[in-house]
Amino acid sequence: MSLHWLKVAAVSSVAAIALASVAYAQTVRVTVAEYSSKTGPYFEKAATEFEAANPGTDIQIEVVPWDVLQQKLTTDISGGANADLAIIGTRWLIDYVSQEVAAPLDEYITDDFKARFIDTFLSPSVMDGKTYGLPIAASARAMYYNKALFEQAGIAAPPANWDEVKAAAEKIKALGGDAYGFGLQGKEIETDVYFYYAFWSQGGNLIEADGTSGLDSEAAYKAAAIYKDLIDSGLTEPGVTSLNREDVQNLFKQGRIGMMITAPFLANQIKEEAPDLQYGVTAIPAGPTGDRGTYGVTDSIILFENSQNKETAWKFLDYIFTTDKRAEFDENEGFLPVNAAEAALQLFADNANLKEFTDLLPDARFAPVIPGWEEIAAVASNALQKIYLGEGEIKPTLDAAAAEIDGIIAANK
Amino acid sequence: MNRSVFTNPYVLTAPAFLLAAFIILWPLFQIGEISLSDVNRFGQLRGFNGLDNFMAVLKDPQFLAASWRTVIWTVGIVAGTILISIPVALILNQDFYGRGIARVIIMLPWAVSLTMTAIVWRWALSGESGMLNSALTGLGIIDQNIQWLAQSATAFPVQIGIGILVSIPFTTTIFLGGLSSIPDDLYEAAQLEGANGWQTFVEITLPLLRPFINIAVVMNTISVFNSFPIIWATTQGGPANSTDILVTYLYKLGFNFGKLGEASALSLLMFALLLFFTIIYVRLAMRGDRA
Repeated sequence: MSLHWLKVAAVSSVAAIALASVAYAQTVRVTVAEYSSKTGPYFEKAATEFEAANPGTDIQIEVVPWDVLQQKLTTDISGGANADLAIIGTRWLIDYVSQEVAAPLDEYITDDFKARFIDTFLSPSVMDGKTYGLPIAASARAMYYNKALFEQAGIAAPPANWDEVKAAAEKIKALGGDAYGFGLQGKEIETDVYFYYAFWSQGGNLIEADGTSGLDSEAAYKAAAIYKDLIDSGLTEPGVTSLNREDVQNLFKQGRIGMMITAPFLANQIKEEAPDLQYGVTAIPAGPTGDRGTYGVTDSIILFENSQNKETAWKFLDYIFTTDKRAEFDENEGFLPVNAAEAALQLFADNANLKEFTDLLPDARFAPVIPGWEEIAAVASNALQKIYLGEGEIKPTLDAAAAEIDGIIAANK
Repeated sequence: MNRSVFTNPYVLTAPAFLLAAFIILWPLFQIGEISLSDVNRFGQLRGFNGLDNFMAVLKDPQFLAASWRTVIWTVGIVAGTILISIPVALILNQDFYGRGIARVIIMLPWAVSLTMTAIVWRWALSGESGMLNSALTGLGIIDQNIQWLAQSATAFPVQIGIGILVSIPFTTTIFLGGLSSIPDDLYEAAQLEGANGWQTFVEITLPLLRPFINIAVVMNTISVFNSFPIIWATTQGGPANSTDILVTYLYKLGFNFGKLGEASALSLLMFALLLFFTIIYVRLAMRGDRA
């Protein structure tokens, strides 16, 4: 009998080990950036549904806040402990590709799969003809304006160019309340981007055709002069260098900002936090020649080169990029549809606010695909903060920043 | 039991010693290796490149500016903390009604994480709805909101102030311990001799408190020098890097810009700097004790 028991024990433990190794072989870890409190539950649900449809698979979701995402990925990768899939900012992708950390997806991508995407959003993840990521989140920028303030100040139509922005801001200031005309962001992430709206409208280019920075151009001087003039005339909120994007958005939600430029997800926040706020969304102000540029941003989900379960990981990607799953995600988070069939859904097609953003897509500019972009953005932000604070004259400050950026570009070649 | 190799005290302490050495020396060795290597942004080594990383750090104008600010930051907070903590400890050492509650109130901030404190201060310092501006307006001291965090001229002193506030509980605890070790009869004798309060303090309390002040200076210097949350949560070293100290500059180098080689070189420089000052200070303090 004892022999029999031994046999049973031996057989069952072998079976258990075999099962465990099968389960192990099908485990896919996914590092997910936290866009809002709905992100984690959304991915957990998608994982559960996927596991139910694909027995023997185990999808493990790790939710990481945005501001420590890059740090966590760096640590994980250097320790060889990275997940199989991860969401990253598309502007970081070039580093992942050049260091061969991200795996090309072309062997999995069928023509059908590719046809799901709106090309504007898929193309930033394509490098040297290979696709290294899929756009998990996409957004653009447009101008929000407070309809109630506009009405009180007697402004008939939302401003179409920078002169009209200034005129509208002056009228709002003349109301004498505690509201400010133009909300200007001057702190932390995207401080440089807020400047680019004016910069692009003057015909500027972040990187000139010769590969150097465009911050030492007439367009940049003019754009900086527009913002500096708004600040000095008291048409922005005071202390712009102490307000980040969320701070300005919060003032807008409180009804204290006449106009500000930001992403579609502010509309979602207003729906929940300030449902009574009367606001409209309009195009980014144009420059003298009608130029205007919105900032297009995508985040990519990438497959790691060292992943042991690429097939399963791909199947999961395929699943979360189906139209239904995409619509659920984008509605939760307030992002733009990246999937053509999704964009045609009533939910998105009939949304007047979203239409303003999607109308701007032909003018969308993405962060240039060059190594060291984060450092270049920091140099630009610092220069702008100096100008906003009045600690530097416009031309010399921007020229110095451009020279520094050229140095970074050269060093990374 | 026979005296064998296994009861030799050196052998007995060896495992603990080796473990400690491993935990301390291994990361140091790795940082040293990274700092001498060409390293990509994911920490993968791409070959030896000598002192290039160190040169790059030393040549960066940001390094010098941040170093200078770190000196102001550290000296400001440590000196401020000691100057405030001594009288606080003296008061809490008196026997008065409600002393227990007073001690708890002084110690309580210690239980709150530094990051949380810093975030609360960030709200309190907000130029639009901040508590500090409301209070000052209410008291009639200012008639227009001050944008505390918009420029370094106001942001940096306020950050030092927060640093002092959060260092007081720990330092006061050290001093309370020190005060309780001073025998009461010394004070009684002084009283009989007709010494006034100030004389008692200068001639008895301060000299006997000296070793505790030394400890407080060294411990606070080490923690303040490397303190990251206050500056990061309030300004992230901005605007225009004007509130960066070495440790925030280090974070930007390593994690924002992905220059892990330079970041390792900088952390070694910081380690050496701190070690140097600590050794000098401890030696000076010890010599004083013996004299």
